[in-house]
Amino acid sequence: MNQAKVEKLVSRLRYNVGPKPRKLKNVDGSEGRLRKIKKTLTAVIKYERIELNYARADETRGYVERLISEALRHGPEHVETMELANFWINEKQLVHKLFKVLVPRYQNYTTSFTKLHNAPCIYPGYAYKRAILELRGNIYPTVEQSNPHQHNLLHNILLDAARKEYRMEKYKEIAANMNF
Amino acid sequence: MFVPGTLFNVVSRSVSTSTVCNQIIKLTRLRVVDNSEIGKAAMMEGKPPRCIHVYSKTGVGYIGDRVLVAIKGEKKKGILVGLKQRQNAKVPRFDSNNVVLIDDSGTPLGTRIHVPIPHILRTIMRKNTHSKGADYTKLLAIATKFV
Amino acid sequence: MTMVSRLWCQKTWQNLALAKVLGKEPKTFSTLVQLKTDEAIDDNDSQAQTNDELIKSPSLGNYRLVYPEFLPDPNPLFRNGIREKLERMDMLNRRSVLSIPEFYVGSILAVTYSDPHAVGKINKFVGICILREGCGLRSSFLLRNVVNGEGVEVHYDLYDPAIQKIDCLRLEKRLDDELLYLRDAPLEYSTFPFDMEIEAKISESIPVNDIKIPLNPLPWSQRWERYNLKGVKEIVVNERRQKKAAALAKPWEKYDLMKTYRETIPEEEQNEIFSDVYTKLNELEIQKNILKRKYMLQRQKSSKTRTL
Repeated sequence: MNQAKVEKLVSRLRYNVGPKPRKLKNVDGSEGRLRKIKKTLTAVIKYERIELNYARADETRGYVERLISEALRHGPEHVETMELANFWINEKQLVHKLFKVLVPRYQNYTTSFTKLHNAPCIYPGYAYKRAILELRGNIYPTVEQSNPHQHNLLHNILLDAARKEYRMEKYKEIAANMNF
Repeated sequence: MFVPGTLFNVVSRSVSTSTVCNQIIKLTRLRVVDNSEIGKAAMMEGKPPRCIHVYSKTGVGYIGDRVLVAIKGEKKKGILVGLKQRQNAKVPRFDSNNVVLIDDSGTPLGTRIHVPIPHILRTIMRKNTHSKGADYTKLLAIATKFV
Repeated sequence: MTMVSRLWCQKTWQNLALAKVLGKEPKTFSTLVQLKTDEAIDDNDSQAQTNDELIKSPSLGNYRLVYPEFLPDPNPLFRNGIREKLERMDMLNRRSVLSIPEFYVGSILAVTYSDPHAVGKINKFVGICILREGCGLRSSFLLRNVVNGEGVEVHYDLYDPAIQKIDCLRLEKRLDDELLYLRDAPLEYSTFPFDMEIEAKISESIPVNDIKIPLNPLPWSQRWERYNLKGVKEIVVNERRQKKAAALAKPWEKYDLMKTYRETIPEEEQNEIFSDVYTKLNELEIQKNILKRKYMLQRQKSSKTRTL
């Protein structure tokens, strides 16, 4: 049973954080792992939606969330936060985007700042699990498109009921008109 | 080629190259903490005694266990009165592995112990003493300070 | 007869408290958003405001530093909401019987405890706290002192029922989180007299003792050059060990955001925990302060009479 470290205060992340960090395969060990994550994190902030391997996406997601939450907490004047942003974001113009675009966007969010979708595997090829990682509130059309023909949607249920009623009326009419 | 090798040997002999062992096993160096002649002489010479046997079923010595030590070419019995290894709560842990030399009847060879002795040793020594065998409680009488 | 009735009362009270806990528990299992909406519906504005004040007030802010053992283990594999709550209640019950002072690593403590092996069945140890570890009822601390030229360390559980009294003789912090390097430092740096008296508290903030300690020559119990210690003078090791330490250094670890997150409890959760125990802890603190002031007054009086 370890004591929690109490020097730094952090905000709670609004997604299910895994108990252990993933070991992204790298010869340089944990330093190389962070370098890999840095690349992905920069891409996420730049393009706002990317498709990549699931493990790497899920791992990067935490870092993106944490960086945004730190920026929200302390703002650009805080030296340590600026240092963090400087370390994590490879392209320096994106640091401005973090503080000037993303922070105002997520000011009143009660959900997570990012979203992770399962993506289909590439066929033919190896069946790696793939994912789409995106920042919420981006300009692109949504990834999850609802099927308008799903029968449990409300309008479909209503239409079904109307159809049934019409048919029942028709049957009654036929029965009434029948002559034996 | 020969000279550096011997030089290295001479230098390395004064330095312990083995890793820290937190258990008292055979060949562990101990520190004699009473004022017995032989113990004092061995510690002054810089040749602390080695444990050559632990009188227990596991062969690992814990606090209050009897050990056989090789000291200045002789075999003497001793009692472990303070250990470096992590102890239970409220039992003190010491910076060195301390031993007090005794003879076969449990009488200490020295007349004073110059380091503190844990209180729990009273209970252990009393438990180890049998009416017909050796009397280990004499060791408690020569202690100067209990912690 | 009175004994029996008192026992019965305590038992029923405990059962009631348990029932309360179990009643509250399903709420904690629900999601965060739901909880928030519930509160918004239940509480009116004024209550919400007071809650905010509670959370933002500086006293609750430094509770995490004063009572770190009330926070659970950050590892989710060891988490269990019900157990944590029950443990917190037990800790408060223990604290209402025994006044445990505020202390940090580097403070000097005196612990009086009942020891079945000692002569008067009571034992006392004074020493500098060099380590605080564990959480909940298992939290413990390690005291170090030098007695008759021999370094002695004793490990105590904070909520041990055998402990009769804990006094903080000198309240201060050091530059490091653990002072285990005192084992390899000259003995005078960990020597404290057993008849030390409680020092009068001067300032409101906890003083940080920025003493730099020289280490003994090698061999050491640990490779201190690898630990990035702030409270040690200069560490002199050979080139090979320096190179190895440089190769094993992890300067990027402070940027690892998820590592810091997984090692700590988030602020929202801390506030939930401390708002649970806030009223009881505050009461106990007030009592402690009164007792301390009384003690100080008595000591001043006695010293005056002595000088006269």
